Amino acid sequence: MQIFPRVLNKLPLYGAVGGVVALLGAIAVPWYYFSPKNLQVGYEPKQPVPYSHRLHAGQMGIDCRYCHAQVERAAHAMIPPTQTCMGCHTLVKADSAMLAPIRESWETGQPMEWVKVHKLPEHTYFNHSVHVAVGVGCATCHGRIDQMDVVRLDQPIAMQWCLECHRNATPNLRPKDQVTNMSYTADKAPAGWKAPDVHPPTNCSGCHR
Amino acid sequence: MSKRKPFPTLPDTAPTAKKVWKSLEEKRDPKPAAEAATKEFISPISLTRRGLLGFGASTAALATSGCLRRPIEHIYPYTKAPEYVIPGVADHYATILPRRGEVVGVLVESHEGRPTKVEGNEEHPTSLGSADVLLQAATMDLYDADRSTDVREKGKKSDWAAFDKAFAAILKTSQADGGARVRILSRPSSSPTFVRLRAQAKDKYPHARAHWFAPVAESGSREGSRVAFGQAVVARYNYAFAKAIVSLDADFLHGEQGALHATKGFVRGRRMDRPSDPMSRLYVAEPSLTVTGSNADDRIRVAASDIDSLVRALAAELTTRGVELGAIKDVVATAKPPEGSEAFVKAAADDLVANKGKSAVVAGRRQPSHVHALVHAINTALDNVGRTTSYAPVVDVTEPADLGADLKALADDIDQNKVDVLIILGGNPVFDAPGDIKLAEKLDKVPTTIHLASHFDETSEHCTWHLPLAHELETWGDGRAFDATYSIQQPLIAPLHGGRSAIEILANLTDEAPKGHDLVRTTFRERAAVPSRFEGAWKTAVRLGLDAGSNSVQFEAHATLDEVAAAITKAPLTKPITASNMEVTFSPCNKLHDGASANNPWLLEVPDPITKIVWDNAALLSPTTAKALGIESQDVISISREGSPAIEVAVWIQPGQADNSIGLSLGWGRQNVGRYGNARGFHVSPLRSSKSMDMLDGVKVSKAGKTYKVVQTQDHDRMEGRPLAIDATVDEYKANPNFVLFPGDRKEEVDIGPLHRELERPGSVTPKTQPLWDRVKYEGHKWGMTIDLNACTGCNACVVACIAENNIAFVGKEQVFRGREMHWIRVDRYYVGESEENPEVAFQPVACVQCEEAPCENVCPVNATIHSEEGLNDMAYNRCIGTRYCANNCPYKVRRFNFLEWRGPEGAQQRVQDMYQDIPETEKMAFNPNVTVRMRGVMEKCTYCVQRIEEAKIGARRESRAIAPNEIKTACQQTCPADAIVFGDLNNPKSEVSRQNRSDRGYALLAVLGTHPRTTHLGKIRNPSPALRKHAKPSEVKREGGSGETPK
Repeated sequence: MQIFPRVLNKLPLYGAVGGVVALLGAIAVPWYYFSPKNLQVGYEPKQPVPYSHRLHAGQMGIDCRYCHAQVERAAHAMIPPTQTCMGCHTLVKADSAMLAPIRESWETGQPMEWVKVHKLPEHTYFNHSVHVAVGVGCATCHGRIDQMDVVRLDQPIAMQWCLECHRNATPNLRPKDQVTNMSYTADKAPAGWKAPDVHPPTNCSGCHR
Repeated sequence: MSKRKPFPTLPDTAPTAKKVWKSLEEKRDPKPAAEAATKEFISPISLTRRGLLGFGASTAALATSGCLRRPIEHIYPYTKAPEYVIPGVADHYATILPRRGEVVGVLVESHEGRPTKVEGNEEHPTSLGSADVLLQAATMDLYDADRSTDVREKGKKSDWAAFDKAFAAILKTSQADGGARVRILSRPSSSPTFVRLRAQAKDKYPHARAHWFAPVAESGSREGSRVAFGQAVVARYNYAFAKAIVSLDADFLHGEQGALHATKGFVRGRRMDRPSDPMSRLYVAEPSLTVTGSNADDRIRVAASDIDSLVRALAAELTTRGVELGAIKDVVATAKPPEGSEAFVKAAADDLVANKGKSAVVAGRRQPSHVHALVHAINTALDNVGRTTSYAPVVDVTEPADLGADLKALADDIDQNKVDVLIILGGNPVFDAPGDIKLAEKLDKVPTTIHLASHFDETSEHCTWHLPLAHELETWGDGRAFDATYSIQQPLIAPLHGGRSAIEILANLTDEAPKGHDLVRTTFRERAAVPSRFEGAWKTAVRLGLDAGSNSVQFEAHATLDEVAAAITKAPLTKPITASNMEVTFSPCNKLHDGASANNPWLLEVPDPITKIVWDNAALLSPTTAKALGIESQDVISISREGSPAIEVAVWIQPGQADNSIGLSLGWGRQNVGRYGNARGFHVSPLRSSKSMDMLDGVKVSKAGKTYKVVQTQDHDRMEGRPLAIDATVDEYKANPNFVLFPGDRKEEVDIGPLHRELERPGSVTPKTQPLWDRVKYEGHKWGMTIDLNACTGCNACVVACIAENNIAFVGKEQVFRGREMHWIRVDRYYVGESEENPEVAFQPVACVQCEEAPCENVCPVNATIHSEEGLNDMAYNRCIGTRYCANNCPYKVRRFNFLEWRGPEGAQQRVQDMYQDIPETEKMAFNPNVTVRMRGVMEKCTYCVQRIEEAKIGARRESRAIAPNEIKTACQQTCPADAIVFGDLNNPKSEVSRQNRSDRGYALLAVLGTHPRTTHLGKIRNPSPALRKHAKPSEVKREGGSGETPK
């Protein structure tokens, strides 16, 4: 009596092939989909005020450091205080409904609740000032902010990505006066300019303390 | 495969070698100690079936909790950005912190308005850039979650408005009779504003009376100076210049006022860069081993009550050597030194006379006034005035001579119904008062009592009104330092709990507005020489924390010998201390001082410098006395004296303790201070008497028939009997500048294999193994450290500085017992010599030595600890999976493991053994934002303050410059009053560390293992009097480690 149909003869083969595919999938899927590149890049949360970098930094050409004033001095580039917004918006679009949260913050003294886009991994210390000081452009890590209406995470802020540059920083350096230039490309470097030899740290304590 | 064997470390023990030991138990029987050393942690784990199931369930629950996406985070910028505040960049403000009854100038680090770290103020003469244990822990006092938050009336919550109204009414009624029934009880104060306001209050309420009380007072020295000089002064010693120093029961390096300044000077007078350098000699006579005593070249154990006869005998010896002491000569002619101290007195007298004008005699705070007067006379006669001693006026000249008597007078007045209103400004007198006053009962009789205090404490419970006292970092104030420097206290943060300062309360009794800032400014304005320049002077003073030049009021005073002679004649000698006449002495605790910071977990957990006890105090007994009484360590004894209630206290047998003298420390046994401090240690104040606050003879001791678990760290972190803290006398050093080397060691280049070729540093033993890897040549920075054992006084300030800087957790008594303390740097205390009664002491701070060939790195399975190109042994916490292999493989025992989530609910329970769920929000404010707060299950250790290194590197890069040779200071180095710790770049020939590293006293700890530590210890030098010398001859100097057996 034939209990098992003939087609089952190929079961081990199917099993083996299927197993290999499943195994590869089990590796490849998390590899790709769970990587910071997939999970984080493109993170574009809604902010309490639809502040447009495209308008302010792009079209009007306000320098990055007008708002992010401490970027050359401190670890944090600093999200500007409500005061900075009100510096213009008491005169410009003073009654705009979109700016209501800003005015409310100014009047009540309650801070604005901006949503963090660029999250460092835990236990990591990053210092803006030193990166700016050696000539890493804003756009290198933050992308073309001047073309974004809503701030979007442009690069995966993960150890591998950091180390790629720390191991070979030269391609990512530019003259210091070009740091805030969003449209800078390497071919625009002045003649004779050579990227400095900066030796960024690649050991643990460079970032983990 | 052959069985692994421990590395052979030592040549066979030489019979003449010095004996070095850590505890009495170890010395008497080294076997158990050596066995214990092989087990790093005591882990009495007993897991029941249910426990195991629970453990499994919690593990499963934990496994799923990691599967969450990162939560949405927010950024909250300022609305109006304060000027000069850069988010992420710390500010530093100069201010003062009143501690030990004096003010000390400090710089406080503030992160966005949140004070996180206290450092010494380099401009201020009291600190000269260093800070002590109490100052380092001050931020934790500020963030103490159990501080009082509310005004309370009869224990019930009230508010300031209600109090202000009630207080105004009370004062109005009192004004009718000129305040005849009003009393103000305060601590002695050096604040000119406080004294000024009190005087003004006196004008308004002429019949009101002020009282003074503090558990640790300067009564004896003040009164002594009044006898000697006709006015109360503060004596100031220049120890750097003194060649012979005689300390009579004075712990001037730690417990007395001006200790930071004294330590700086003392160490400068003993700095040995080469054998020919001059070195001072310190003689100490004291009842309990103190920090000063353990740094003595010659130390003798004398009961505190017998110091009187010793100083008289010293005076007599001096007169026979031609020192002109006038009328005193006849008074002391027949004086006999206490038994056994004859040679000591003679040797000290010889040295004092030989170093006339370059010596100093110091008497301790608790000695009676005539001892102080005689010491002043001796310093005058020895021509020391103006050279090693100078004097500064006291701020509060009205302070009475005897604070115990003053408090008794207040208590008597209350008994006689003379007091209606008692205003207690600071302090906790019910807890601190001597037992015979029974202050609690008295307070209940007063109709209105007002108590201003940081906690709702033992005194507040007996008062009508309790007012929350603001911390010194929250309010304006001022003070004069011990050398009369006028200093300003500026707040760094608004009062967290709406407290007020003492001057603000006191101002209610005057016509001035009770605003701290204005009150201090008014005082400053009154003393400004040129009123038009007031604003500028004020701004400068606030910025610097002091008014420069204000200490010019120091003067030279010469003691009136006749007055001193008369005072001595009037003071009869007390009965000598013998087995039938035992004494107790009361000292401020080495950590808590008078107990005002008794709820400070950093202080509770840092080991006592001498006993190494944590979370408790104990009665210190000498081995002989303990044997005679049949008492052992951890037995509870009952101490009683006529007229005082008996107290019960656990015993700790302490080498160096005088026979028949029991050392008790104040500040412990609080019942009502908070979650950490409640019911810790033993309350000893009830035994004190208002007649004699600091020492009492004629006490009776009996066994209470109980034992009490005392936990200490001195047996933890053993390095298995290897040669560690190395010391020699000056003569030995001169005979052999390389005394730190082993016999047969070489300093020249050695070649032990193709992979290994380098100059062996002095002190290292040629490693007998080849290194596992090629030696790395460090280009660029090469961070290193030196720790000078000759400078280290053992005060523990570095330990607390490290805690504050590196967010180090405290773990509680039970966990310390299991060996789980987290301190990254420890100060090992070794006893040296055969004597159990009076051994020499060597302190050795040990933190991670950053081995170039680090044994920990080779065994880490996940590369969580690896070397940086600058030679730091980096620790990546988020890589660590907690195998603890690294700690097992560390020969220095400096790695610390987070056995529990010390900052979570589980850890909170372990720490304080009660139901507090999480660490309080305020405690989180003390964290240094530049250092990771470590979680359960990871290893941690000293990183040479890598956050400071990186900050300096970033700063230098930003400014396109090189890092200056001595620019970076680690937290321990910055606070060290002795400048024992030096950090820097070994590749920079201009750096101090590279200079010290080349010292002939330098040796690498356990160099025989071939670990190539970056930290170099410099051997300790002693300068004992040749006359008292009992040591081995220089030629016979051999080294031996602790008494643990040499591993074979």
